[in-house]
Amino acid sequence: MSGQFIFFMLFSVTAIGGAIMMLNMERIMYMIASAAVTFLSLAGIYVLLHAEFLAFVQILIYAGAITILMIFGIVLTKHEEKREEPKRRFYHISLFAGVVGLFAVFYYVINQSAFPAVTREIAQDQTKEIGLLIYSQYVIPFELVSILLTIALIGAIIIAKREGK
Amino acid sequence: MDTRLFAADLLDMLPELTLFIAIIIISLLDLFWPKNASKKGIGVLTLIALIVSAGFLIYQRIHLDGVISLLNDSYLVYHYGILFKLIVLLGVSLIVMMSFGAIRDKDIPHIGEYYVLLMPAALGAMIMASSADIITLFIGLELLSISSYILVALRKHHTKSNEAAFKYIVLGSIASAFILYGMSFLYGMGGSTNLFQIGATLQSLESSFHPMIYVSFFLLLVGFGFKLAAAPFHTWAPEVYSAAPTPVVSFLAVISKAAMLIFMFMFLPVYFVPLDPVQNLTIYSDVVLTLHVVAAISMIVGNIVALMQKNVKRLLAFSSIANAGYFLVVLSTDRPGELVYYLVAYLLMTIGIFAVVTALENSAEHQDISIFSGLYFTAPVTAVMTVILLLSLAGIPLTMGFLGKFFILLGVIQVKTYWLAAIMIVSSVISFYYYFRIIRLMFMRSHSEHTTIKVPVTTMIVIAICVVATIFFAFFPQYMLSFIEWT
Repeated sequence: MSGQFIFFMLFSVTAIGGAIMMLNMERIMYMIASAAVTFLSLAGIYVLLHAEFLAFVQILIYAGAITILMIFGIVLTKHEEKREEPKRRFYHISLFAGVVGLFAVFYYVINQSAFPAVTREIAQDQTKEIGLLIYSQYVIPFELVSILLTIALIGAIIIAKREGK
Repeated sequence: MDTRLFAADLLDMLPELTLFIAIIIISLLDLFWPKNASKKGIGVLTLIALIVSAGFLIYQRIHLDGVISLLNDSYLVYHYGILFKLIVLLGVSLIVMMSFGAIRDKDIPHIGEYYVLLMPAALGAMIMASSADIITLFIGLELLSISSYILVALRKHHTKSNEAAFKYIVLGSIASAFILYGMSFLYGMGGSTNLFQIGATLQSLESSFHPMIYVSFFLLLVGFGFKLAAAPFHTWAPEVYSAAPTPVVSFLAVISKAAMLIFMFMFLPVYFVPLDPVQNLTIYSDVVLTLHVVAAISMIVGNIVALMQKNVKRLLAFSSIANAGYFLVVLSTDRPGELVYYLVAYLLMTIGIFAVVTALENSAEHQDISIFSGLYFTAPVTAVMTVILLLSLAGIPLTMGFLGKFFILLGVIQVKTYWLAAIMIVSSVISFYYYFRIIRLMFMRSHSEHTTIKVPVTTMIVIAICVVATIFFAFFPQYMLSFIEWT
């Protein structure tokens, strides 16, 4: 058993565990903490895949910014701590069956396809390579993302804004 | 075949660049707009930007010679792409014009942003129409989706509208996630983000990968079905349609659908993967069968549930679900010319009928189907035009809607899918019932609700354009068909 495998198992268990914890927690604070665990574990998996830049961005943006932003959101808004959800047994059972079925299909499909073993050279300066790609091959989507973010920002402002009339 | 974008290449992107720059300038102008001045000025500027962009497109179309490909085949300027973009711009322009008379301060507090947001949505749809790269396609899709989430949420002080907008955002994001997941399988197998390269690689893969190709298609289908409002992924549509501002609803019904159709038009050729060379079987034939099943369910569910609706916008929502079925049929027969023709027909009749609905619901302050009652006696011209639009929606001869459906039906019969043709005919006949119910209401004097109905001039112009075009291109379809096929 290689060290890579041990770390992969560790990270994947914490990633999935964090996601399940997030869904089952009662208090929103705990939910955010569990989500942060998932984000960090995913960053670990990226490191194992030699995608260091992505791992760094994942920690910086997801584990850092988004988690903090959600905490701010909770602090700055009024919300009820208690939330009563109606018990819908049939709904939950069918949902569970659906998820398990989907997992079974995906597991079978991925497991039985014979991916050829390819050895690839890993780029030394990943950040540079990504930068070059973004500014050459993918420059159109990159520019569009700027409009996308502006629109999202405008939308967030006009929806949240209180009209002072 | 260059991986870099040069300044000269920007000329091929002029229609998109026009909108891109207009979004920035007009949204800044909106900030400095005088407080007392009417925000319709922003709408006029938006309209001008859309028309300029369409002008560049027509120029491109006239001088088009083959296919222009930028950035290693990831961005294409080609025949049908330009047609789709023109349809999008035509639709959005009509919607902007319709909004002048329909959008009121008390419904939407931020009218300036409303007009500005229509442009990135159109831009997203246009980008989707000319990209052959899954990243660009997805960014275009998200630009369209996020703009439409905000547009739906603009009726801020309306509780139902807020709830519908929230559901739309959540379900729409899930649909996007499904599309992304399906794309990730394609990328994993194809090893490229370019659709042509993915298609080429998939053909050479060994048979153990075939289940994965199917999985990627079904994941994509969930997202496609949602955005197209095809049954069984349609449940959001009636609620969002009945709660959102009516011009936005016509945007969702026409532009979102058109964009999704071009998305599928780009994606489906990837699945030409041979299964059995002897029997000439491909994965594509299964893809077509799945599309047919979804189309059949949409036509049946849409038309039957529409029979029971009392709310006009819910009724039109189910009618648009049924139309998603017709679109899937024509998409699966791989006849882009007929697709474009029916898309234009659908655009004209849907935007026209929604323009009528905006005027009526604004004067009646509710959306019950009874807003149509006695319309012939209070506003005879509007009533006659509404009748023509409804007949076109129902598919009665001498309208564009009839010819469009007729072309689709011929295509289906040509590929010998008789069961689908039968379902199409039967469901169309069912749809007569609810369209004629509206027509009957208009000619009943006793229940007349309104004393007078003021149809704003701009709305009237939109309705007139839709009606005239619907009839003109029904009598002279050759003009449009020759423009579609013109190379």
